[in-house]
Amino acid sequence: MNIIETRGLTKVYGSNGNAVHALRGIDLVVGRGEYVALIGPSGSGKSTLMSILGCLDVPSGGTYALDGRQVEKLSGADLAAIRNEKIGFVFQQYNLLPRATILRNVELPMLYAGVPRKERRQRALDLLERVGIPDKANVLPGALSGGQRQRVAIARALANRPALLLADEPTGALDSKTGQEVLALFRELHAQGNTVLLVTHDPAIAATAERRVELHDGLVLRDQMEKAA
Amino acid sequence: MKTSGAFHARLLEAWIELRQNPGRSFLQALGVMLGVASVLGGFSISDSQRQQTQRVFARVGGIDKLNVMPTDTVYQGTPSALHNANLGLRLEDAVDGGKVPTAKAVNATSVIKSARARVRSEFADQERDVNGIGADYVPLNGYEVEQGRGFSAHDFATGAPVAVLGSEAASVFFPTGEIVGKPLRIGNVPVTVIGVFHEKNFRFREGQQNIFAWRNRIVAVPSLLVAARMEGDQYHRLNRVTFRVPDLKAMADFSKELSSLVTSNHRLETDFRLDDVAKRLQRQMSQGDVYNIIFMLSGVLALIGGGMVNVNIQLASLKERVREVGVKMAIGAPGKEIFKAFMTEALLLTLLGSAAGFLIGIAFSWVITKSIGVPLALAPLSFVWATLLAVVFGFLFALYPAAKASRQSPMEALRYE
Ligand SMILES: Nc1ncnc2c1ncn2[C@@H]1O[C@H](COP(=O)(O)OP(=O)(O)OP(=O)(O)O)[C@@H](O)[C@H]1O
Ligand SMILES: [Mg+2]
Repeated sequence: MNIIETRGLTKVYGSNGNAVHALRGIDLVVGRGEYVALIGPSGSGKSTLMSILGCLDVPSGGTYALDGRQVEKLSGADLAAIRNEKIGFVFQQYNLLPRATILRNVELPMLYAGVPRKERRQRALDLLERVGIPDKANVLPGALSGGQRQRVAIARALANRPALLLADEPTGALDSKTGQEVLALFRELHAQGNTVLLVTHDPAIAATAERRVELHDGLVLRDQMEKAA
Repeated sequence: MKTSGAFHARLLEAWIELRQNPGRSFLQALGVMLGVASVLGGFSISDSQRQQTQRVFARVGGIDKLNVMPTDTVYQGTPSALHNANLGLRLEDAVDGGKVPTAKAVNATSVIKSARARVRSEFADQERDVNGIGADYVPLNGYEVEQGRGFSAHDFATGAPVAVLGSEAASVFFPTGEIVGKPLRIGNVPVTVIGVFHEKNFRFREGQQNIFAWRNRIVAVPSLLVAARMEGDQYHRLNRVTFRVPDLKAMADFSKELSSLVTSNHRLETDFRLDDVAKRLQRQMSQGDVYNIIFMLSGVLALIGGGMVNVNIQLASLKERVREVGVKMAIGAPGKEIFKAFMTEALLLTLLGSAAGFLIGIAFSWVITKSIGVPLALAPLSFVWATLLAVVFGFLFALYPAAKASRQSPMEALRYE
């Protein structure tokens, strides 16, 4: 079954006079275990599409099936549950809670999912080890470098073993070396069977993906499938 | 948050959140605290002042006392036979007054027959007002016997030659301090001093003069002694009869009955004067109104003041909070859960803040009332208002960002400016 299936997805910001048509009919199908790079010029609607795919926002029109379930008409509570269990979202600006410890940041999605305390803690520690920062559990995000913060964000995104990992320019705020490390982590997660969809501006990064979807002006301009070189 | 449905788990989460944001939590609690303290302080201070004024009024004015005094009914010419036959206000009037049906509202009666006389001891010789007293005069006028004993019913009934002195009179006539059992001459009548009253002292504020100093000058003897021995009056005429009626409304009824009783006792001559109860009632009511208005006004000001502090603090952290809510929603917190978490946090903060506010408010009003020399009175109503304020501001303003955030999509909350 496909993880993502959208048909005629549209998004309009604002109303009447100053309406912005950010998406103008997106048809996109992503299968389980795919690694997709979403590219396109600034303002083409990449972030808008990602936030709808991540159930952070609702489309203005069209349909969206996530893991076989139509989500465009779900209630807020159901969407929250989907974000919690099915989707791991990684933001360009990390979006960690600045005053919660790293451990708590990673534990929070599990808290919302009702994972018992002990298990929550153990899984959070395991995840921190998996993303390569096992010794930072009790510090605040402010004490970490950008690359380390993005690893925490990835650990948090993985907390409830989501079906889909979405990342909107995850390396955008990082220097190229750190960016490469974070990308390596995504590749590794993909290798372990995760479905990954990431937005990037960097053609070199896009080139490493087996599939590239290019947006232009709210529409899919190109959808190329090719093996990484 | 399926497993943390239990209240204590929520409380723990709330505590973690509060500890994570010590600055914000402190400011928010500070808002509640200042609000509560100012309401409590404002109410208590104005209530303390009000009670003090009422106390002064009660002790000086004696609104619960109904006085009957004789008047001179002959304004011109010679008195008629009827006038001569009338005896004026006398003990009988006081006794009968205590028997009318509405007299059950009376809880004390006092009679007084005063005279001016030369008072002599082995140390002093002065012209003094001598108070011939009877019935409940001593307790009704707030005297307490400090040395020796007071008058017995027998002393009053027989007009025994005994005297009780006020503290000032005692020190004038017996400067050595040996008083009880000593002889004293009042006019031509030799009496024995049987007791001394406790010094009466009342000041509006500490450091001001004692407005009751004159009461310590009293030389008291049984009224019958003055009437019979000193003035040779077999009818036991009086200068004043006082009934204490705590309930002002009952006093109005009693006053009517008393008036008709005394009038018929005096052969339908109104040769006496009764205090005007209606006027007194009216005055008391209007005074109560004034105090209620002052009271409410200061309370409302305190509420507004405390509220403003709180609103500002809440608004200052709104952006940060909405974004935080955005992050939590993005990782799967349902809006309802965020709401409940906010409620619990607000509850905890409100509890902590208002507990501190109570302490500060009490301490503050204690200091203020102490400095103006008024005993502190804590109005129960002030606690109600203060708690109400704490709840309203604690909850309403803590919930505002949550409500604002949860009405948006997580994306919008994350981008909130
Ligand atoms: N919340 C919003 N309100 C109004 N317009 C918006 C909003 N978010 C995005 N837009 C508009 O929608 C269009 C698409 O924006 P989007 O952020 O999806 O582009 P993007 O491809 O992610 O660009 P970038 O590469 O710069 O991140 C833009 O014209 C943008 O100005
Ligand atoms: Mg973008």
